[in-house]
Amino acid sequence: MSWNFEEITLTAQNEIQSASDLKTLEDLRIKYLGRKGLLAEIYAGLSQLSVEEKPLVGKGANILRNTVTALIEQKYKDLEEKEKSQSSAKQIIDVTLPGVGVSMGHEHVLNQIVDEICEVFEALGFVIHEGPEVETEFNNFTALNIPIDHPSRDAFDTFYLETPDPERPGRYFLLRSHTSPGQIRVMEKFQPPLAVVIPGKVYRPDAVDASHSFMFHQIEGLLIDKDIQFSHLKGLLSAFCKRFFGEKIQMRFRPHFFPFTEPSAEVDISCYICDGKGCSVCGRKGWLEIMGCGMVHPKVFEAVKYPKGKYTGLAFGMGVERMAMLRYGIDDIRMFYENDVRFLRQL
Amino acid sequence: MKLPYLWLKDYVPLNVSIEKLAHRLTMAGLEVEKIEEVDGEAVLELEITPNRPDCLNMVGLAREVSAIFNKDLKFPKAGLTRWPSQKVDVKVEDPQGCPRYIATLIRNVNIAPAPEPMQRRLQSVGLRPINNLVDITNFCLMEQGQPLHAFDYDKLIGGKIIVRRAHQGEEITTLDGIRRVLDPSILVIADERRAVAVAGIIGGEGTQVTEKTKNILLESAYFDPILIRRAARRLGISTDSSYRFERGVDAEGVERVAIRATVLIKDLAEGKVEARRDVAVGKEKKAKKEISIRNAQVNALLGANVSVSQSRQVLQKLGFRVSTEDKDKLVAEPPSFRGDVRREVDLIEEIARVIGYDALPMDMPLVKGTTTVSSSRFHRRSRIRQALCSQGCYEVVTYALINSSVLEKCGLKGHRFVRVQNPLTQEQEILRPSMLPSLLNVVGLNVRRGEKNLRIFEIGKVYAPLGERETLGMIFSGQQKEDWRNPTRIDVDFYDLKGSVEAVLSMLGSDGLTWVSTDLPFFVVGQGAQIYRKDRPVGILGRISPDILKAWDIKQDKVIFAQVDLEDLLGEERHREYHPIPAYPSVVRDVSLAIKKDIPFQRLKDLAFQEGSHLLTEIRFLEQYEGEKISSDERGLVFSLVYQSSQRTLTDEEVNQVHEKICQSLVTRFGARIR
Repeated sequence: MSWNFEEITLTAQNEIQSASDLKTLEDLRIKYLGRKGLLAEIYAGLSQLSVEEKPLVGKGANILRNTVTALIEQKYKDLEEKEKSQSSAKQIIDVTLPGVGVSMGHEHVLNQIVDEICEVFEALGFVIHEGPEVETEFNNFTALNIPIDHPSRDAFDTFYLETPDPERPGRYFLLRSHTSPGQIRVMEKFQPPLAVVIPGKVYRPDAVDASHSFMFHQIEGLLIDKDIQFSHLKGLLSAFCKRFFGEKIQMRFRPHFFPFTEPSAEVDISCYICDGKGCSVCGRKGWLEIMGCGMVHPKVFEAVKYPKGKYTGLAFGMGVERMAMLRYGIDDIRMFYENDVRFLRQL
Repeated sequence: MKLPYLWLKDYVPLNVSIEKLAHRLTMAGLEVEKIEEVDGEAVLELEITPNRPDCLNMVGLAREVSAIFNKDLKFPKAGLTRWPSQKVDVKVEDPQGCPRYIATLIRNVNIAPAPEPMQRRLQSVGLRPINNLVDITNFCLMEQGQPLHAFDYDKLIGGKIIVRRAHQGEEITTLDGIRRVLDPSILVIADERRAVAVAGIIGGEGTQVTEKTKNILLESAYFDPILIRRAARRLGISTDSSYRFERGVDAEGVERVAIRATVLIKDLAEGKVEARRDVAVGKEKKAKKEISIRNAQVNALLGANVSVSQSRQVLQKLGFRVSTEDKDKLVAEPPSFRGDVRREVDLIEEIARVIGYDALPMDMPLVKGTTTVSSSRFHRRSRIRQALCSQGCYEVVTYALINSSVLEKCGLKGHRFVRVQNPLTQEQEILRPSMLPSLLNVVGLNVRRGEKNLRIFEIGKVYAPLGERETLGMIFSGQQKEDWRNPTRIDVDFYDLKGSVEAVLSMLGSDGLTWVSTDLPFFVVGQGAQIYRKDRPVGILGRISPDILKAWDIKQDKVIFAQVDLEDLLGEERHREYHPIPAYPSVVRDVSLAIKKDIPFQRLKDLAFQEGSHLLTEIRFLEQYEGEKISSDERGLVFSLVYQSSQRTLTDEEVNQVHEKICQSLVTRFGARIR
């Protein structure tokens, strides 16, 4: 049998060119190149040909195969390209519609501040330790050199519980009125060197208004070693204030009285509203009181039975609500405990 | 405490601006709260800390100023008086409560207005001039801090003073016109028949000095600070007098000021001193209280470079008697009015504050690590909070003190709780035994304000008589997460919150949890669960019953609450270890069955694992169906059983055999029908 390769090539070319989709093209591929396709048939017939015909037909078949293969490949690419562009035209999406998924919640602003303050001190080498809220009178007062029936207790008005302290007849448990009993717990358990911060809730029977709450948060710090000095207190707390309030903040250490530190100081920062000129937020003083601090009183070391004269230490304490109010300009402490989600969401 | 600049200048020659004075006082620990003007004169308002009763008067403040500005202090002259030999009848029955009592009887006083300058002085510190007698006692109080009291002598029955404890139920009408009932914890000044003053706190109406008074008895005394403090608190009064006595007046001032006042009365009210009595108990001379101060120690504690002479100068100006022991050591004897100075550190503070903290050096400490204390509990808690927030939850912080009546409102009646002895209001009367009331309160507030889709949590304490426990409380309410691709609005339910709780617990490495259907008073019947971990209850989860929601005025259908005890979990180290990743493929076979509604899935799982030998490695829940295609007491469940071996590829026959066995057991044991 003889083949008109020219005509076959032409037909194949026409058919392939006019294929409108990948399915038709695949059919054509099978028709020409498939196992039972035309080329297979041509090759199968080769054996019956004469010695003269064989190379001619064989050569023609090879050319045909290469041509058809190339045509199909080219057409395949074209069709694929076409389909891709067609299908993507169908699937244009509106990228401006809102994303779906979890909207982030919010950590309470007070805990964010606690975390932030603790992080600063952790970076300085402190560890975080937490004590219980229900405390003994000894830890909350006696060990901290705050005698019963002393006017210095007025600053620490305290909620007493109806639960008697089994170890101290006649005395009752209380809700700690400051985080300082946490110092006592740490010192009773561990020997210096110590560098701890103690965050937590504290309670005082204060009538609730825009600036008072019967529950609030404090962070206490304690650093004890053989050679801790007052100059360190100034250095450490300056470093903290600059980190927390910004490099530009002005600070001052003002002598004050706390029964558990000697010397004692209060730390003021320049008012962030008026830059120290005096305004209603700072009560025209130009300064905002932000924490109390001092060198640990020897009586406190005695109470926890540290060897006499061996150690010195510094301690400081600050109110978390006040820090948050100053940082974010919140003017009512009750906002923190109301938990209106529109408030929580903002910070 | 008010400090008029003009009055101050009577004792210290000072010529600095009022602002400078205010600044230096503040920086020496006497914080100036504000500067006022009274009659054109500047008056400083000072906050005096409770350790410094000696600064509650002009002379004391002048002493501070003299030290700060290194000026000399001019002490007011007491004047001289010759005491008559005649004695006033004074009996001190409680010598501990009143170690010193000086009574002076002055006859024929001329009650009239005090001279102008004295009146102005009093007005400048906010006191109203009354008459020369009262004004003199007030003036002396303000000048030197010793409270005085003048009785109308003719009204003292028996002409006698007895210092004693009040009788139970004894009454007195005090100068403020209030009738007060006393008891033996209160010290009184009495005459022969009755209490005429509450010692150290307030005088009685019956013996007060009036325009008609002719003869007066002047009291200058020292009363025990604790006794006065307790009595003042008990009676609910605080006076200029009690304020000073409870902080401690200068024991040496009792006599000095008695003289000062007597001289003034003689001069200004033309009185004649007729009799006197000085009762001093425990007259034995107090041992001299000397405190050594080493200069090396001063500088070691302050990290400064203060010289011995600097220290000496400061202490001397403050009224300490200072002697030099050697070139590095001073010995200081505190004055009688400085009971707060007892130790070397107290002296160091005096030196530091007068020099000024701002003048002292600043330095960073070397912080040595503390390996024994661990922050891990704090950080674990922080991670949980962050994880919950990533799931879209809002963290809340609520009061730990609540009103006990809300327990009933929560179906928590009969719960054991801890009561507060001294709440200010009922809202603070107990420590919360559960997170439920606090969180319902937050939900109610937000729903009423229009925020209805709520996912809130708090990690805080709940309190039982045996102690406080750190607890996670959560409430989900409102719609599931919004998805505009699927606009059907579905409310959150039990399983949404269960998923969050499981996520938290898995962060803490808490596997082996079991959930047991449990009816609790505040949950909808059949929609509450108790969570067990290693057979110990660790929490509850369920849908809050409509009754409770109604009681809280929460107009929301589904409110799902969970509470998980974290106290132990936060403290546990999470145990983890590596298991080789399976090398052979798993085979998954789905099971679809119909089963009685009251049989929990957990029991099917337990049975499957029991029957599945070691080949069944996992059960994945796929679907629950309840509805028309199934009888009403049944539900359809679809789940996958995953078979896998770590040794080899499982053959179909092996798997079929085990799978068949499991299905068979489910059918025979629970009456399940394979669908």
